[in-house]
Amino acid sequence: MGDMVKGNIAMGEAAIRAGMHIYCGYPITPSSEVMEYLSWRAQEAGRQFIQAANEGEAMYMVYGAASVGSRVLTASSGLGISLKQEGVTYMAAADYPAVMINVCRYGDGLGSLESGQTDYKRETRGGGNGDYRNIVLSPSTVQEAVDLVYLAFDLSEKYRNIVVILTEGALGQMMEDCEYPPVKEVPFYDWAFDGKYTHGPYPSQMAVDLHAKGMKNNEKRALITENEQRWEAVGVEDAEYVLFAYGIPGRVVLGIVDELRKKGEKVGIIRPISLWPFPQKAFDSINKNVKGFISIETADSGQMLEDVALYAKKKGFGNVPCYFISSPPGVPKSKYVLENFEAIKAGKVKEVF
Amino acid sequence: MKEIVFAGFGGQGVLTAGLVLSQVALFSGKKATWMPSYGPAMRGGTANCTVKYSDSRIYSPGQEAPDVIMALNIPSFNKFINMVKPGGVMLIDSDIVTCDTSVRSDVKVVKIPGTTIANELKNPKALNIIMLGAMVKLMGDFSEKEAIDGMNDMFGKKGKNKYEEANTAAFKKGFASV
Repeated sequence: MGDMVKGNIAMGEAAIRAGMHIYCGYPITPSSEVMEYLSWRAQEAGRQFIQAANEGEAMYMVYGAASVGSRVLTASSGLGISLKQEGVTYMAAADYPAVMINVCRYGDGLGSLESGQTDYKRETRGGGNGDYRNIVLSPSTVQEAVDLVYLAFDLSEKYRNIVVILTEGALGQMMEDCEYPPVKEVPFYDWAFDGKYTHGPYPSQMAVDLHAKGMKNNEKRALITENEQRWEAVGVEDAEYVLFAYGIPGRVVLGIVDELRKKGEKVGIIRPISLWPFPQKAFDSINKNVKGFISIETADSGQMLEDVALYAKKKGFGNVPCYFISSPPGVPKSKYVLENFEAIKAGKVKEVF
Repeated sequence: MKEIVFAGFGGQGVLTAGLVLSQVALFSGKKATWMPSYGPAMRGGTANCTVKYSDSRIYSPGQEAPDVIMALNIPSFNKFINMVKPGGVMLIDSDIVTCDTSVRSDVKVVKIPGTTIANELKNPKALNIIMLGAMVKLMGDFSEKEAIDGMNDMFGKKGKNKYEEANTAAFKKGFASV
């Protein structure tokens, strides 16, 4: 039996166990416990911890830490991650790995402190200027958050790419039991600066053939897309409607689908765990006569919905209508989702795509 | 699956009471979730948390239709009385929640003089544990011993063994009060 652990603290501990060398960040609700925990735990475990003066500075510390080969973590929320984007795109240009946790709060600008999923588009499209993608993973339980932080460092290093854990205030703040993986001691990356120019000086951006590098990046992204799609699916083989939901809404909708299927309703769910790459392979098992796809998100507009429609088209479901259910901030209420689902089935709601 | 909401003033220990119940559920081999209300708050404002426990996977960790609500102040009673599942229970400290409680005929209101009991024990801070004792008795899912062992295990791991005797006494008083 594990003990009840808060999502934010569980992710901090998972980072230590995954061999994180250093944390650089700046606090913001509802992510602050990640760094509050690491402020003492990192030292206890013989790792480094820095609280920067602001988010932008923190991200350049992350950049510096990665450049000398450390496993580095930062965590923030919505607007805090916005402030980091300059550093993020510079890291993408340098092919530097890092793990970034976004404990998402709802809304534009300052937004609210409430839990939300309004950062899907930014995280899955890169976020800063240029043409890059971050790998984005989204947990729906505290245990999954732990497992994904552990995985994130490995993927980040394997592909020399930033990995974002996109979670929500609700998961960061809630408690659930979890089991931690074993502690890993990881050496510094061997390709990094070591003070002796063993791997040469850092090539000036101006001297790089950017288009040639871009083509190589495309190859890397194709590889990630092929290898790193993750999802949970229930009941899609015979489903008349397939619901899409990730994170906290993902687990709520799993419960709804479980209940509806017990009543004999043909409904299924795809819960993406990797948001980029989007789990397009999940479409391969869907009933060819499906009547509709429905994306349920804690966001005003359908952000993931656009990916659902895009990959529906790619996978031969181009004529299947795609609907959206917008859940208010916080944990979606099953009753609310069910009422909206019934309205869609009754033809009272127009499809978005 | 059971859903319970613990609500009261910040500082009364409602979040802790909820956490103890969730830990007792784990201790007894069940699954549990604990979800706090969080966000902007002020001293003297209200706080609440939602606990769910089950023998199988818990899907939504959020507030849906609570079986039991513990309200330790009048604002919490007013806020949550209409949320209790029909046939559910509202557990109140009758020393604090002195308003008219006959709001719903389909909800059983259980009144415990929690503050009086805490004062008798000369331990006013133990109100949350007294009410938790009553709650565990009402739920009927855990024995008194199981719950006390789970509670003491949790506080022990937090390095708070010195309160074990006082917590056990408070829990027993609450358990016996229903």
